[in-house]
Amino acid sequence: MEAHAAAEQHHGPPPANVSSRIDARVLGMLLFIGSEIMLFGSFFTAYFFVRVVNHDSWPAKGTHLPVFVAGINTAILVTSSFTMHWALTSIKRGNRAGMRAGLALTFFMGLTFLLTQIAEYSRIGFAPNDSAFATIFFSLTGLHGMHVFIGLLLLLAATIRAFRGHYTPEHHHGVEIPGIYWHFVDVMWIVVYVTVYVL
Amino acid sequence: MTAIAAEHGVHMTPAPPGPRGIRRLLAPGYVRCLWTIPLMFGFGAGIAALVRWLEAWHPVWNGTVITTISLATIPLGFLGGIGGFDYWLGYAIGRPTQPEDHSGHGARSWKDYFRVNTDHKVIGIQYVATTFVFFIIGGLMAMLVRAELAKPGGQFVDSQTYNSLFSIHAALMIFLFIIPVFAGLGNYVIPLMIGAPDMAFPRLNALSYWLLPIAGVMFASSVLVPGGGFATGWTGYAPLASHQPLGQVFFNMGVQWAGASSIMTALNFLVTIITMRAPGMTFWRMPLLVWANFTTSLLVVIATPFIAGSQFFAMFDRVMHTHFFDPIGGGYALGYQHIFWFYSHPAVYIMMLPGFGIVSEVISTFARKPVFGYRLMAFSLVAILILGFSVWAHHMFVAGMAPWLRVPMMVTTLLIAIPTGIKVFSWLATLWEGRIKFTTPMLFALGFVSMFLIGGLSGIYLGSVPIDIHASDTYFIVAHIHYVLFGGSLFTIFAGLYYWFPKMTGRMYNERLGKIHFWMTLVFFNATFFPMHYLGLQGMPRRVYDYAPRFAGINMFISICSFILGASALLFLYNMITSWVRGPLAVGNPWRANSLEWQVSSPPPIFNFDAIPTVVAGPYEYGVPGARHAIMADEAKTADSVHAEAEEVRH
Repeated sequence: MEAHAAAEQHHGPPPANVSSRIDARVLGMLLFIGSEIMLFGSFFTAYFFVRVVNHDSWPAKGTHLPVFVAGINTAILVTSSFTMHWALTSIKRGNRAGMRAGLALTFFMGLTFLLTQIAEYSRIGFAPNDSAFATIFFSLTGLHGMHVFIGLLLLLAATIRAFRGHYTPEHHHGVEIPGIYWHFVDVMWIVVYVTVYVL
Repeated sequence: MTAIAAEHGVHMTPAPPGPRGIRRLLAPGYVRCLWTIPLMFGFGAGIAALVRWLEAWHPVWNGTVITTISLATIPLGFLGGIGGFDYWLGYAIGRPTQPEDHSGHGARSWKDYFRVNTDHKVIGIQYVATTFVFFIIGGLMAMLVRAELAKPGGQFVDSQTYNSLFSIHAALMIFLFIIPVFAGLGNYVIPLMIGAPDMAFPRLNALSYWLLPIAGVMFASSVLVPGGGFATGWTGYAPLASHQPLGQVFFNMGVQWAGASSIMTALNFLVTIITMRAPGMTFWRMPLLVWANFTTSLLVVIATPFIAGSQFFAMFDRVMHTHFFDPIGGGYALGYQHIFWFYSHPAVYIMMLPGFGIVSEVISTFARKPVFGYRLMAFSLVAILILGFSVWAHHMFVAGMAPWLRVPMMVTTLLIAIPTGIKVFSWLATLWEGRIKFTTPMLFALGFVSMFLIGGLSGIYLGSVPIDIHASDTYFIVAHIHYVLFGGSLFTIFAGLYYWFPKMTGRMYNERLGKIHFWMTLVFFNATFFPMHYLGLQGMPRRVYDYAPRFAGINMFISICSFILGASALLFLYNMITSWVRGPLAVGNPWRANSLEWQVSSPPPIFNFDAIPTVVAGPYEYGVPGARHAIMADEAKTADSVHAEAEEVRH
């Protein structure tokens, strides 16, 4: 009876049974990414309708896309995935300085990407309501830009926490989960870059 | 609630004293919304004006743009104000992580239902109560629609108002009632059924509930803006939607909030079901309601982004004059329907599969027999999930899409009748030679099987191209959708609410009133909607406020029956409210059911279980001598020895 009374004292739920090897937070992020892929899928469907079904000229007549600048931007974003991975492996080995440097570098490379894209928008010479091509261009790159922005917010939180002394080799989900999201944002950009700029 | 908690010996810590005076402006709550909402509104409007000023677009202050952005920023301010984001903001600035301390669990008074609460049982009740508010609003709009249609010619609304009445009716019933009420029932029951103390992400769970009233208020308040409410039907077809008054934007944005809510809940369900099942609860021992919510959640996570996309495109076309669907600018007019129905057909199953789960529970319990073909029941849910993604264009047979797409879509549509048929026959086989008890939930479950059969059969008619071409956009469609969503989904919702009412409230409902409610609903539901099949085949078009005089008599009959049907809902509400307040106390397991939620007290203890039970067999072993579904943590045992036993079972 005493143990029972003690159990009522602690005012918490009984520990849940762990019925899967995958961590709940990682699984949640993976499912969320699945949902995000479908959101991109709906935007690519719109792309498909305009470019394949309607045979609109791509890019629209009289406009051209800065393939080279966007290519450099792509390289920056891809590199930032490697620094993200570096941050995670560092904290797994207990290297806090490496984690902090990796997170900060990733954040600033992501920020560079986003600012470059905003600059590109302002100099591109056409507006979203000029043609169906322009609509699709801005919506796909803009949707991706929103994801970069959300990824940056997650990275910012992870970076602040890293600099304030959080995370250990045993507990690094706060680095790992934004990292998974960041890799997704990266891979998605490669798809967007190839379909919108290159092809 | 407090009285019930005391009667059941549930321990409730007294509420911590709330903040006083000026501090209330900083503590989470409605008072803090007083500045968070204006702050976010100003932020959104300011960004919009800044961009327009930089780009030299005139006017800088554009009402439509500011309204559109405010439909995103004001809800964010509201959510921030009531405390939906407090933990994550603290996390982001480097506060130490706290596993949810569960101090906010349980509801101490009715006021706690109006606060952010992380207890899945409180959230479940919040969901159900909120959805019934919108059910009443949507139902009143249906009454107005029927009043207008009682006689040919205009009665008291003009065509645009009529269109917005049925549009808001449908949007509320679909996005604010059927989809979320299942999420609410699932929220309450699933953690209990799988032997978990709560959902996997309690804070996310609270947030996803609070997105819901936002969407509902947005739909309902669209009638207040200039030009009236959205009037394009719940389907909101573009390019029509791109040339509508401002109310259309309220639909576009409301769908985003409701969709975000349902994606977050579905994600939570999936993670909870995968990672938090009790020891011994394998996938093949899960109750079918858990299976149903598992497949539904997969559908939600995969499909819902497509309606988000379609509403964004339609909204951009309207607000920013982009060219997604506008043929003049090079857009593809039919694109909206493809993207929309790629979500909205699976959404039909999102609105039906949880109901299948409820009916399986109810029929098995009250027939005192194991569910016939348990594994096949689960497999057929998965089959519907997969096939559901391959049939969307059957909504577009007359839309002018590529003709070669028709027959494949017809074939896949008819294929869905196979897993659905498996389910219907399994329910019948479960009933066969059962010791049937005709309680109210059982009556609604049996009513569901028969009504859904009619809706399913008219669905097979509509799935075949020739009949669909004849019946498209007539009252035959209205009859079909109400047979599957009212006779189908709503009957299962009633069955589920009556079935779990003792568990959720700790009190019994009035059985006599419940039975009267069932018979009134069944009779007048059929009297209202069955004649619509005939009207439709005779050529009465849907979504028009006027009709040919030769349909006058039958429409008057339908309208009168529909008012009685509406009154039956009041009987239901009366029963629920009075029983909740002063019904007789319920025992833990009034139905002698096997699944885990019935093995704890009614209402369940604040953390569901003293210790997690161990599951030893399937959930439907009725009539099998000596069979048990689970071993509960016994009163005499200490929590520790039960855990040791659980460990043994696991190894």
